[in-house]
Amino acid sequence: MRAAHAITVATIRQVLGVRRAILFGLAMTAPALVFLLTSQTVSDQAAMERLAFMAVTLYFPLLVPIVSLIISASALGDERRDGTLSFLVLRPVPRSVIAGSKFLGAALVVAALTAIGGGALGLVYGIETGSWGPLLPLVVGGIVAGTVYAALFVPLGFFTDRAVLAGLVFVLVFENGVVTALSGLVALSPWRLGLAAFSALSSDAVTAALTDLGVPDLPGFGMALLRTVLVVVVSIAATTLVLRRRDLA
Amino acid sequence: MTSNPALVESATVEVEDVSKWFGQKVAVSNVTCSFGPGVTGLLGPNGAGKTTTLRMLTGLIRPSRGTIRILGVWPRTSPSVYGSVGLVPEEAAVYPSMSARSYIRYAATLSGVESVDDATERAIATVALEDAADRKLGGYSKGMRQRAKVAAALVADPQILLLDEPLNGTDPVQRLHLINLFRRLGDEGRTVIVSSHVLDEVERMSDRVIAIVDGRLAAAGDVAAIRHAMSDIPYRVRVETDKSRVLAARLLEEALVHGVTVDDGTLHVETNDLAALGRRVPVVARDVDARILVFRPEDASLESVFRYLVGKR
Repeated sequence: MRAAHAITVATIRQVLGVRRAILFGLAMTAPALVFLLTSQTVSDQAAMERLAFMAVTLYFPLLVPIVSLIISASALGDERRDGTLSFLVLRPVPRSVIAGSKFLGAALVVAALTAIGGGALGLVYGIETGSWGPLLPLVVGGIVAGTVYAALFVPLGFFTDRAVLAGLVFVLVFENGVVTALSGLVALSPWRLGLAAFSALSSDAVTAALTDLGVPDLPGFGMALLRTVLVVVVSIAATTLVLRRRDLA
Repeated sequence: MTSNPALVESATVEVEDVSKWFGQKVAVSNVTCSFGPGVTGLLGPNGAGKTTTLRMLTGLIRPSRGTIRILGVWPRTSPSVYGSVGLVPEEAAVYPSMSARSYIRYAATLSGVESVDDATERAIATVALEDAADRKLGGYSKGMRQRAKVAAALVADPQILLLDEPLNGTDPVQRLHLINLFRRLGDEGRTVIVSSHVLDEVERMSDRVIAIVDGRLAAAGDVAAIRHAMSDIPYRVRVETDKSRVLAARLLEEALVHGVTVDDGTLHVETNDLAALGRRVPVVARDVDARILVFRPEDASLESVFRYLVGKR
């Protein structure tokens, strides 16, 4: 447990320096700022539609994936690039503990940043309308999506120096292009799992607003959570296997 | 006693017919040797295969063929053995944003040390880093980083210590300190394997040497034996003088001179005993009233010495 805790803490410090924390923290508040800037004295219904629009165009499909993949890819990627991975693996620590702790460190940072973004958007919506219902679903949805991205990109950072580039192609071309065009592939899109959690935990009015924006049928909260857990377990198992078998040349 | 100088009796690290190739490139070829308590120098020119050998010993890379055992096991499948092994890699391998104290404490925690704080302070004191221990490693000189890495390797009190060019970047004072430290660790009964491309360094810290050239075992044994093997290497010396033909004729009469060629007024003298030639040439030059303008060995690099040793095998 001491080793797991130490690796997790070191990973948090490694992937989130002060500059990154400020930059990504501010970036995550962009949907809230845009919501404020476009604020008009109109009905609560219009405010809810604006909230849904921010969630579907900026928060879930862009900010959560991009911030998550940059943070996650560096958790193991920086260790490999800087030669510090040998420092980790040449210790009497099971590879599964290293893999799990690396994921946990990255996922905690991603969770904190996405919570800032979701929380800020929910907060400005609450201030404007007096309704605080969407705040928690936004935070939970962001954390769900961020966790899946962390599970995908922590091991990818170990394999390639271009994990961020590969991630951007995945998010911008595949998820936001191909999957948007072919709704049958929705299950392969991590940010839509987050959106599913957000939708499932929100009121019917929010779900209706999402549907009006063209969001297809999404899985329920339980299914989104189950898929997230499944991706995390497979990711940690795969990372463990790779750390055991792959040479560190 | 074993008759093979590459093998030791009470081996803690065993290398048996090990080869490693990367694609078409053979990095290590059919190396068999073992290491036991005390300091052993892993000697060879740059690119000889020392780092690859050390990385295989630690399990960071798998041999393409052959077996490696540390304390009787292949570490890759028995990670618990890492509790008894410390590695100081040649590359940076430090976290620039961590202080040396945090780095060493991190190493202690991961190694399962009971009293992390005490072990950390002991390791810092061992490498004399007390004054700089709270500075970030990113701001350290290369020599200081080497000492921090040595401390991180020592913090778990390992039975086996593998050091890849640990004196690189150290100043003379740091070097002397580390050499004395490695000797002391060896005297305490630990297996200390130190790679270096500098024979004099290895000679100062170890009594036994494994020399690797072009991935092959070139020589093994105590340092004196290696020195002896090197003593009959033919050297070529460039001598520039104002009376080249007279001096050449006179030098050919000397027993220690195997041959002299004159090329555009410059003498190329062959000998097995460089030091004796260095003493004799001024005497001979005075006899024939010649002035020595240049006296310089032409091919005395360690690499050429290693290649000679390989050729002898």
